Amino acid sequence: MSTNTAQTLYTQPQTSELEQFLYHEADLLDNNDLKSWMELFTEDGTYWMPVARDQDDPHGHISILFENRAVMAVRANNFGHRLSASMEYDIRTSHLIGNVRVTEFDENSGDCTVKSNFQAVLYYREQTLFAGTCTHQLKRQGEGYRILQKRVDILNCDAPHRSIMTYI
Amino acid sequence: MTTATEARNNIIARQQQTLGHSNEELTSLVEKDRVHRDVYLDPEIFDLEMERIWGQAWVFVGHDSQVKKPGDFITTTIGKEPVVMVRDKKGEVNVVYNRCGHKGAKVVGKPCGNAQMFRCPYHGWTFQLDGTLNATPHKCGYEDTAFDPADPQFSMQKVARVENYRGFVFANLSEQGDDFETFMGAALETIDNMADRSPQGEVEVVGACLPYFHDCNWKMFFENLNDAQHPMVCHGSVGVATKKTVRELPEGTPVPKEVEIISPFGSSYELFDDMGVTVMENGHSFMGGKHSIHSSYSEIPGYMEAMIESHGQEKTERVLGSNRHNTAIYPSFTIKDAVQIIRVVRPVSVDKTLIQTWHFRLKGAPEQMLHRTITYSRLINSPASMVGPDDWDCYARMQESLRSNSAEWVDMRRYIGREESADGLTRAKGTSDLSMRNQYKAWTNYMTQTSEQEA
Ligand SMILES: [Fe+2]
Repeated sequence: MSTNTAQTLYTQPQTSELEQFLYHEADLLDNNDLKSWMELFTEDGTYWMPVARDQDDPHGHISILFENRAVMAVRANNFGHRLSASMEYDIRTSHLIGNVRVTEFDENSGDCTVKSNFQAVLYYREQTLFAGTCTHQLKRQGEGYRILQKRVDILNCDAPHRSIMTYI
Repeated sequence: MTTATEARNNIIARQQQTLGHSNEELTSLVEKDRVHRDVYLDPEIFDLEMERIWGQAWVFVGHDSQVKKPGDFITTTIGKEPVVMVRDKKGEVNVVYNRCGHKGAKVVGKPCGNAQMFRCPYHGWTFQLDGTLNATPHKCGYEDTAFDPADPQFSMQKVARVENYRGFVFANLSEQGDDFETFMGAALETIDNMADRSPQGEVEVVGACLPYFHDCNWKMFFENLNDAQHPMVCHGSVGVATKKTVRELPEGTPVPKEVEIISPFGSSYELFDDMGVTVMENGHSFMGGKHSIHSSYSEIPGYMEAMIESHGQEKTERVLGSNRHNTAIYPSFTIKDAVQIIRVVRPVSVDKTLIQTWHFRLKGAPEQMLHRTITYSRLINSPASMVGPDDWDCYARMQESLRSNSAEWVDMRRYIGREESADGLTRAKGTSDLSMRNQYKAWTNYMTQTSEQEA
C-alpha cells in the first residue's frame, strides 16, 4: 500500500456502522443460521474462545473453541443432525451487545479491530448466561467487512462448563 | 496421636455399623452380566465409594511438570479429600491434605501458584511445604495446654503414600494395599509409551486444563472409555457431517487436517471389534494395541528423525508401533499415549462429575506434535466440541432415566464368555462389555474389602 501515494485513505467508520455489523452477526447466530454466519468470515477467518485469561496462543495451548472455516462447515452440517445424541434438544441463543468501540484502525486498508461487551443466554436443556468481551478483527471488503477473527473472552473461561452447543 | 489414615479407618468402621449397606448387600448389586441401578443413584453408595475405592486405590493427583520450582503447588481432590501437591525446598513432591490443623479451614484456595510456606488465612497458622506445622501466632495462649506442635493432627497431614512415576504423581490415602507398580500392572506400559514418544523420554504439561462438568455419576464416564458400541451411534452425525463437508469443498482444495481426527469417530462396528479391548487386575483396561483410531495420523516432519536419533530404529518402531486408545486406570485416570492427552476424573456427588483434560508436550519433538494434541482435544474433548457433548448427553440421559421404576438393572452381557486370557491379560472383541464387567469386579473388591479387614 505504501507504494501507492495517490491512494485515498479510509476514514475511521462510525461506531453505529460497526454496531449494525455486530448486530447482524449476532442475529445469524440467534437464528441458528450457521451457514450464513460462517460466510461473514474471510477464507482464513477463525472463531476463538480461549480457556485462559490473556491467552495469546491458540495453537500450542488448549482453547474451548478455535475453529477455521473447515470446522465451521462441519459444525453447520452437524447442527441439529438427527444422528447426534446431543442434537435432539433445541439450542437457542439470545445475544445482547454493547460498549462497542474501535481499538485499532488502519487508514490504508480500512481494516479495524472492534471490541464489544456482550451477554448471551444459551438455552440447551437448561438456561446458561455467558458474558464477556468480543474482539472482532475486521477486514474491509468493498463497502462492508469480513471477519478475520472473532475472539470471545468469557468471564468464566477457566471454570468447568457443561456442553456449549453453539458459537457464542 | 491420630494420623489421617487412622482417622479415615475409624470413619470406615463407623460407616459399616451405621449405613444400611452390608457387604452382602453391596455384593448383591453386581451380578456377572448386570449391575443394579443403585450404584449410580444412591448417595450413600457414592459416599462409601469415596472411602473404599477412592480411599484405597492409587489416584492420579498431577504431573510434576506442573510444580517445576520449589514452592510451586496445585490444589485438587482425591475423592472427597481436598489436597495440595507441592514441591518442597529439597525438590520432593509432596501431597498433603488441604486442611488447616487448627480449625479445619482450607489453607490454599488457588488452583495453582507458588508459596514460600502455606499460611491459613483464618488464624494465621503456618505450614512448611511438606505440611508440617511451622508456627502459630501468639504462642503464649497454648502454654500449659498440652499442645504438641509435632503432633500430626496440628499439621497439614501428608497422605499415606505418594508415587512419582516419570512425572505422573499418584497418591494413595491408605497405608495398606498394593504398591503402585502392582496396582498399575500392564497399564504402566501406556505411561511409558507416552513418555517414550518424546525423543528425550520426558513429557511436560502445557497450559491450563480444560474442565468439563458432567451431570452423571463418575462411573458412567469411566465405563464409556472402552465402550466401543457407542461411537457409530452416539457420534453418528459428526462422521457424516465431516464427509459431507469434504464433498462440498471446491475441487482441488486440500482435505483439512481436522478430518483425520474427527473421521474415525464414525468408524464401523467391525473396526472397533478388531481394535479389541484388553482388561487387567484392579479394573484397568485399554482398547487397541497394535492399531487404534489413532494409527493412521499423518507423519509430522522431523519427528521420526528426532526419535530415531535418540532411541534408535528398533525402539522407535516399538514405541510408535503401540497404539492404545484410552488406557483407563480405575478409578481416576485415562490416558491417550498416542495423542498425549490425559483426562482425570474428579467425582463431585452421586450425579455430578468433573473431568479435567490435560495436554502434554513431548520434549524434543517438533512443536506441531503439540499442535495436533491441542487440535485433537478441542475437536473431541472440549465441552464445545462436536464429540464430547454427545457422550455428555447420553450420560445425562442415563442419570435421568435410571430413576424410572420400570426396571432396576443395567445390562453388561455383550460377548460374555467369549473372552480369551493370556499373561494376566484378558481380551475380547472391541464392542464387548468386558471392560465394564472388569470394573465392577474391582468395584466389588474395593467396596467389600476394607483396609482393616486386610490388616
Ligand atoms: Fe464417545
